Amino acid sequence: MSRAEEGLFVVCDGMGGAPAGEVASELAIQAIARRLTGDESGEGSTSSPFLPHTTRLLDAVRQSNEFIYGQAQKDPRQAGMGTTVVSAWIREQIAGVAHVGDSRAYLWHNERLEPLTRDHSLMEAHIEAGLADEGKKLPVEQQNLLVRVLGREPAVEVDVTEVPVQSGDYVLLCSDGLTRMVSEEELAKAIQTFQEPQQICDHLIATANHNGGADNITVVVVEVTGRWWHQLIKGVGSHLRRTLSRPH
Amino acid sequence: MSKLTLQYEGIVLKDYALGSGVTIGRLPDNAMIIDNPAVSGHHARVLLEGQQVILEDLRSTNGTFVNGRPITRHVLQHGDEVLVGKHSIVFDQNAVEPQPVAGAPLESLGDTVYLDTKQHRALRATLESARADAAKSVNARPATPVATAPRRVGVLRVIAGRSEQDQYDLGAHTSLIGRSDTALVRLRGWFKPSVAVAIARSGNSYVATPLGGKTLINDERLEGRRILQDGDMLNVSGLILEFCWKDDVQAESAA
Repeated sequence: MSRAEEGLFVVCDGMGGAPAGEVASELAIQAIARRLTGDESGEGSTSSPFLPHTTRLLDAVRQSNEFIYGQAQKDPRQAGMGTTVVSAWIREQIAGVAHVGDSRAYLWHNERLEPLTRDHSLMEAHIEAGLADEGKKLPVEQQNLLVRVLGREPAVEVDVTEVPVQSGDYVLLCSDGLTRMVSEEELAKAIQTFQEPQQICDHLIATANHNGGADNITVVVVEVTGRWWHQLIKGVGSHLRRTLSRPH
Repeated sequence: MSKLTLQYEGIVLKDYALGSGVTIGRLPDNAMIIDNPAVSGHHARVLLEGQQVILEDLRSTNGTFVNGRPITRHVLQHGDEVLVGKHSIVFDQNAVEPQPVAGAPLESLGDTVYLDTKQHRALRATLESARADAAKSVNARPATPVATAPRRVGVLRVIAGRSEQDQYDLGAHTSLIGRSDTALVRLRGWFKPSVAVAIARSGNSYVATPLGGKTLINDERLEGRRILQDGDMLNVSGLILEFCWKDDVQAESAA
C-alpha cells in the first residue's frame, strides 16, 4: 500500500501456503491504513522515545496484530493465518520504520545501501547469537523459519527505528520474494543506474524473475527530494507480482 | 501409521510419513533432504521388511547414530533417536494421521514457516546457552554485546540565542531542531526551517544530520551525517548549542 501524499508505505507478505495468508496481509494493510487515518490528537504515548508519527505507526502495527489475531480466533477457516509487515512513514524528513517478519526496508544514502531492518528469522537469530556467520547458510529447510509474524499471537514485538532522509535518498520496502533472488549489490546497482523509482522496481522484478524467483514479490521504491518547500516525496514506484502457488 | 520427525536443536522441522520407505541425504532426490555439509548426498534410508522398520546407513562419511551409537543396520524401535550430522530424526511407531493444522508441531506454510511461542522459547534457550558457551571460550567470536553500563545521555546546552529551555536532554531516539511542533528544540521565526537538524541516537553515540536551513558545527558547514563529540558547537540558524554528556554536566554543577 502506498499513500504517497502522506508519505506512508506498507508492504505485507502473507504466510506462503498458510490458510488465509493472503487474507492476513490484506487485513494488516487495512488495519494499519484505518488506524493512520484522520485525527492525530491524543494518540501515541508521550513517553515514547520516538517521534509522534513513528509512535502512531508502531501503535497501528501492534493493533493490526491484535485485529488479525482476533479474526483468526473467530473464523476457523482463517485459523493460524499470519503475515509479515514492513512499513515506513516519512514526515518532516524523518522516516519512521516498523517491521515484523522478513520483509525488509533499505535506505539508499550517500551512494550506499543501508539495511533498516533485521529479519525476524531463525537465520538472523543464529547470527545474533554468534552461532552462524552471515556468509554461512543454514540448511535449506531452516532458512525460511520466522520467529515473529503478525497475527499468530495475541501480542507481538514490533521493531522500530527512525532515520533522517535527505534529498537524493531512496527508501525501498520489499518482501522476501525479492531479497531471496536479488542480492544487496544488485539492489544498490539498480538504484544507482535507473534513479527513477518505477524503473528501479521494474528492473528489480525482472532481475528476480531472471534469477528464478517463484515467490510473490512486492517492492516499493520511494525517492526523496529534500527541499522543504517542495513536495518531499517525488516518485513512488511499486510492483506487486502474484504467482499461482506451485504444485509440489 | 509410523512417522519420522526431523529436528534440529530441539526444534521440530518436519514430519515424514514412513510409507514404503524414506531416503535421507543432502541431495534433492532424497525423500528427506537435509541440506547440511555434515550430511552425505545419500546418507541413510529407512525401509520396511515385513513388520520391521529398518534403518540402514548408506556408507555415509560421518555415520548414522541411533541413541548415540553408530549403526550400519538397525531395527527401529518406537522412540529411537537417529542422529544424522547435527539433525536428529525421531521414530514414532504409533503416530496418528498427521493433522492438517493444529497437530503438526511445525506447520509447513509453503515457502515461509513460523515458529510458535513454545518453539520460540525452546529456540531462545538454545541460543542463549550457545551464547553463554561462546562467552566462555576465549577465541569465540564475540556474541552480541551486552549493555553493561547504562547508556550515556547527551544534552544540548544553549549558549546563545532564543530558546524555551537552557538545556535539552537527548533522551529520544530522534531529536529534532526546527520550527516544527514535533521539534525538541523549537526555533522561532517564520523563515526558520521546519526541521533544521535531526539528532539520532545510535548505540552510544549521537549522529547529527542537517535537513534544512544552514547549520554550522564548530564554525564549519554541517553536511552529511556527523557523530557528535563532547564540546561540539552547533549553530542552527543563529541558535548556538553545545553538545555534551549529561553526567559531565551534572558533575560540573555539583562541583
